[in-house]
Amino acid sequence: MMKREQVPAYTDDFTEEELMVIEAARYIKNDYLVIVGTGLPMIASQFAQRTHAPMASFIVESGPVDPQLLPVPISVTDRKIANRAVRLGSTREVMSCMLQRGLVDLGFIGGAQIDIFGNINSSYIGDWRGPRVRLPGSGGANDIATNCQRILIITRHEKRRFPEKVDFITSPGYLDGLDGRRKAGLKVTKPDITLVTELAVMEIDKNVGKFRLAKLMPQTTVEEVLHNTGFRPLIDGDIDEVKKPTLEQIRILRTEIDPEGIYLKKRTG
Amino acid sequence: MSVSEAVRRFVKNGMTVGIGGQNINRCAMAVSHEIIRQGIRDLTLVGCNLSIQMDILVGAGLVKKCICGTGNLERFGSTYNFRRAVERGELEVDDYSHNAMVARFLAGEMGLPFMPTRSMMGSDLLKQHPSGADMKWVNMANPWDPGDNVILLPAMSPDVSIVHVQRCDPCGNVVIDGILNHEPEMIRASRAVIVSCEEVVPEEVIRSHPERTVIPFHFVSAVVEQPFGAHPTATYGYYEYDDVHIRYYQDMASRGDEDFAKYLKEYVLDSADFVDYLEKIGLRRLLELSRIMRGVDDEKRTGSGLHR
Repeated sequence: MMKREQVPAYTDDFTEEELMVIEAARYIKNDYLVIVGTGLPMIASQFAQRTHAPMASFIVESGPVDPQLLPVPISVTDRKIANRAVRLGSTREVMSCMLQRGLVDLGFIGGAQIDIFGNINSSYIGDWRGPRVRLPGSGGANDIATNCQRILIITRHEKRRFPEKVDFITSPGYLDGLDGRRKAGLKVTKPDITLVTELAVMEIDKNVGKFRLAKLMPQTTVEEVLHNTGFRPLIDGDIDEVKKPTLEQIRILRTEIDPEGIYLKKRTG
Repeated sequence: MSVSEAVRRFVKNGMTVGIGGQNINRCAMAVSHEIIRQGIRDLTLVGCNLSIQMDILVGAGLVKKCICGTGNLERFGSTYNFRRAVERGELEVDDYSHNAMVARFLAGEMGLPFMPTRSMMGSDLLKQHPSGADMKWVNMANPWDPGDNVILLPAMSPDVSIVHVQRCDPCGNVVIDGILNHEPEMIRASRAVIVSCEEVVPEEVIRSHPERTVIPFHFVSAVVEQPFGAHPTATYGYYEYDDVHIRYYQDMASRGDEDFAKYLKEYVLDSADFVDYLEKIGLRRLLELSRIMRGVDDEKRTGSGLHR
């Protein structure tokens, strides 16, 4: 038999969410301690651990330390997120003794609004004194944004989700600019903040304190991103295209990480 | 002690109530149902993630304020009664992060007036001052390193906390299996604690494995045995959360006050006690939830050893 050359087989058979997860996972390095919640962040973390970052370790705000997740937890208190952990501890052990202590390399956050400074709102739409919409609140998000050197956000790309200024800063990004965190007394003054959507990847420019358009998802344009973004991210220099996934990556996601399609909706049609 | 006696003795109108459990695990539902049946009102609920246990009390019109990190049910959606009450201006919320709430309980449990934290700095959680709060926080420079600032938060000591755990002995020695959430700190900070449990075990069980005791009896005011007492949330090691019932609850809660009142009437007010409620859920379903928690794969492997 002829020996075949090992060329990764890139595929066009992927959903937007699958590529978002794979792209976000690229930011998780092999030696990282990562604090995760449920949903796409958890899928991305598991995917990273299953592929390029087998030594990455997870903690969860409710107490699990280094679990080996069962597919697919739907809550931070799900038995599947506690599976085969090295310890099932407390919120204080995870959020105070590990996160606030400064041991965590990367944290995921989500939110209803994210602004150009990377500030995140998961509390109120409108004025908090008489809100139009009450959202869940901080949970551990404020703690993660406060204490992590690297913050990852995976979210849908919608104009109203990315306003110039959030209605309520639940979790601090760069607050009002480059010096915002230092002025407010935050110990981590210049975190990496990365935003992964179905259209693009934006990264905070650590010399400006604002989001810069870093990468485009396949088949999207700068115009499309700007049209769907309420703020105007920095744009200059090269904008890379996000690599398409390989067949193997998609296989892992669909058969091992989220076989029932709980978070990664199955392709329709 | 019966749950009705425990609630009558330790939960009073206007109290600050510490809420145990989190999200879909170990919410003290039996105790919450009893609070609703007894109509104890003007409550302030405190905790980290307040989920269905808070939402049902809010939906029953018994809560005036929440001091917490979140109100939601993750994959099952928002806590709809909570959300509606806040948006109507009927429920006040004093927002913190989870680490900040833990710091407040930590001060309370150690008999200290306040605790420093790095959380909330620079965020609008500091700007949000609910009515009646004189001073939510103080920014203080580290006396030994003046460039390093922290936020001081006041101790939180609930009048009574309600938690559901796996096991407890009659004196109140508490064993919690699995994750602990914010409960060890909150329980020790509280002036009174009602513990409902899956099983009351003999004192000898506690004394033969004392390293397993999370909370000794000195902190516990009442012990209530109530199997399935967290339903429709899970009790780790005993039974899985009931996704069917939680979805039904969410459906009724999301439709508005009228539909939710029907839910309350059917499942809480028209139930004489929590066992009456469990009978409405049905033994078949409860046994199924136990099997799921044990990780038993129902159909596929049944008898496979015999028919090979």
